[in-house]
Amino acid sequence: MKMNLRNETAPNRQTPQCACPIISSKDFHFYYGATMGVKNITMNVNPCSVTAIIGPSGCGKSTFLRSINRMNDLIPNIRTEGKLCVDGQDIYDKRVNLVNLRQQVGMVFQKPNPFPKSIFDNVAYGPRLQGITKRADLDEVVEQGLKASVLWEEVKDNLRKSALALSGGQQQRLCIARALATRPRVLLMDEPCSALDPLATSKIEDLITQLKNDYTIVIVTHNMQQAARVSDMTAFFCLGELIEYDVTSKIFENPSNKKTEDYITGRFG
Amino acid sequence: MKAGLRITLDKIFTVVAGASVVCLCLVLVGVLGPMLWRGGSAVVFKGTVEFRRMQLTLFSRGNEDKIAAEVKQAEIARAKVYSEIEKFKAGIDAQTLTEKARQIYRQFGNDLRQVNTSAGEVTELRSVTRQIRDRLESAFASSNAAEVNESLAYVLSFKNDSRFKNTSAAGLIELAEQYRNAIHGVNLAERQRYYQEIRQVEDILVELLGPAPGAQTPALMMNRFGATRWDLAQKLLGRLLWYEEWTKQGPEQPMVRRLTPRSQRFAGTEIEGLFTYIQQNLPEMLKPKTTIYWQYFIDDSTPGHYFGGVGPEILGTLLLTLLAMLFVVPFGVISAAYLVECASDNLAIRLIRMSINTLAGVPSIVFGLFGLAFFVLFFLPIFGAPSKGCILAASMTLAVLTLPVMIRSSEEAIRAVPHAYKEASLALGASRFRTFVKVTLPAALPGILTGVILSLSRVAGETAPVLFTGAVALGPVPKSIFDPTRTLSYGSYDMAVGDKLAAMVPHNQFGMVVTLVLLILCLNTAAIVLRSKVFKKLAGH
Repeated sequence: MKMNLRNETAPNRQTPQCACPIISSKDFHFYYGATMGVKNITMNVNPCSVTAIIGPSGCGKSTFLRSINRMNDLIPNIRTEGKLCVDGQDIYDKRVNLVNLRQQVGMVFQKPNPFPKSIFDNVAYGPRLQGITKRADLDEVVEQGLKASVLWEEVKDNLRKSALALSGGQQQRLCIARALATRPRVLLMDEPCSALDPLATSKIEDLITQLKNDYTIVIVTHNMQQAARVSDMTAFFCLGELIEYDVTSKIFENPSNKKTEDYITGRFG
Repeated sequence: MKAGLRITLDKIFTVVAGASVVCLCLVLVGVLGPMLWRGGSAVVFKGTVEFRRMQLTLFSRGNEDKIAAEVKQAEIARAKVYSEIEKFKAGIDAQTLTEKARQIYRQFGNDLRQVNTSAGEVTELRSVTRQIRDRLESAFASSNAAEVNESLAYVLSFKNDSRFKNTSAAGLIELAEQYRNAIHGVNLAERQRYYQEIRQVEDILVELLGPAPGAQTPALMMNRFGATRWDLAQKLLGRLLWYEEWTKQGPEQPMVRRLTPRSQRFAGTEIEGLFTYIQQNLPEMLKPKTTIYWQYFIDDSTPGHYFGGVGPEILGTLLLTLLAMLFVVPFGVISAAYLVECASDNLAIRLIRMSINTLAGVPSIVFGLFGLAFFVLFFLPIFGAPSKGCILAASMTLAVLTLPVMIRSSEEAIRAVPHAYKEASLALGASRFRTFVKVTLPAALPGILTGVILSLSRVAGETAPVLFTGAVALGPVPKSIFDPTRTLSYGSYDMAVGDKLAAMVPHNQFGMVVTLVLLILCLNTAAIVLRSKVFKKLAGH
């Protein structure tokens, strides 16, 4: 019932195809050595929207998400086929500057992973990489980042405190602030709430709704209620394939594929 | 299993584990306790007046007037010893006595030429004096008491002869009188033995009380002062009081040591009582006083560690250790970083890993020889440095020795950094190098410091690698890293194997060992404090 409510409040964002998608993949294949990661993914993500990727474990949703900022490059012997474009640029082109790409496409991980440094240094890490060294500029960027992730009020008095002293939810919001401080266009979230309690989860979800106005968000989640609550579009992955990709309300109310329906209603697997 | 049995087993386990810990602690105390006790005696001991005199002379320490007064008091107590020995020697040393007699005779002959006497009288006087001299010499040389007495009686019969009154020839008669007194109660047959043994006594007295008054300053520094420590004095007193003899019980039998009181060796002579006098008055002669010689840790030592402290040794050990750390930490961390972050798992890397593991187990003497062959003979000349053992070569050898330890511990530390940190940094657009320097390295720092602690202890205590590459037992304080240096480890080794002097100053050897242990303890404590600080900072407390 909740999912209906959510979709009714934001009816205007449900445009499946836009003239200029920020992320577009066309026949994208990803291999770990000889093993198939994902295959034949063709989907477009519009700017300033929230796209949820759902699917059973091992279906390749995280692999696809991590392909978008090439975090999979850390694994040896990977191979890709097809095209995956961010902002019209094929990111698997040899000429792509990884640093630029990752600053354009930020990422938030499953488990909160702040650096063992102060709160300030955590948020300032990205800006410093971009060459911002002036104290006043850094202060401003850090404040903006923390405000954007709604953490500012909680930590503004002790920015020098170690980030590890924060609670799990706060740490995750700090990680979001850290990702936002590099001013990315896209924010990838890999099950950002799976290690958090319901209260912290709802805070993150509220945050996602706010961030949607300025950033494109792709979120992988196991929690279907969460997908229904926060996303505009939903993609269902199964066994490395994109089974269905549509407006969230359609996926959850009237899926066109049988597998999707089975998964959503819990009959799957 | 029944609950009762389980509880019993648990209890037994606890007791056994606790007991083993207690046993280990006891063993540790059993090993360290005596060492600390004996090493501590290098710093806290009963110093004698000779010690204070030595400190004043060598290091200009102490109140000059006070020490002079003390020395005077001690000299008063010692005076009797020297005068008695002198008196005894006068009757024993035939050679000196003969020399004296001849000199007096010559003198008398010269004197006669000056005096206005007739030629005939001179000739007669000469022949009489020659006769006196000859009889005197035969008395000195003979070991037959009757013969000696007869000769002396002949000489002494001229005592009241007016011809010799107030001439230099009267000296001959005086000599005869002295001799008669000296040999009173002496077994003349054993005169040779007395002569040798009194020389022995004199030698021990030099060691115990320093050079005899009036003697010229000995060339060796160690002979210029008596026993500086009361324990050393006691040892020397033992040697003075007991005559040591090695005798064979029979053929094919081992030699047996036999001790006889020295007073017994001189039984019946004038100096028989002297030994009891020395034993009773030794505190008066040496004035022992409890001394805390903290300067032990900064003083240079005078020949062969006989006097002074271990300052240059500490300096050398510190220099070698820190310089070796300077080489080993960057190389170790960089190598570890390569092995973890960059190296793929191929044959070459596996070989390298195996070599590192093997190197960690190679005996240190092998590294010592390697250091000699590579650093001293090959590497230094390339850069125009003299091809001799020096601090630079020794510290580089030590660095090579401990490199495997450093690499392994750094590798573990870097590997243990959560992957999430690295991912987060890379996802923010940092390069791999930047990620390593800014995120991985700080997070791995406590583990790397553990490696530093392990290496530090090993490096500071190693002897074999520095044996050929830059350590000396004696020598000046190094002026640059191209000079060899003394080290605590090598110093204690050297004192253990070679020096006869070292046997006289065992406190010094223990002192060096304890100093080394303390030094390593200090270095380690510093590193551990640093590590816990870093760790706290990382953990966010």
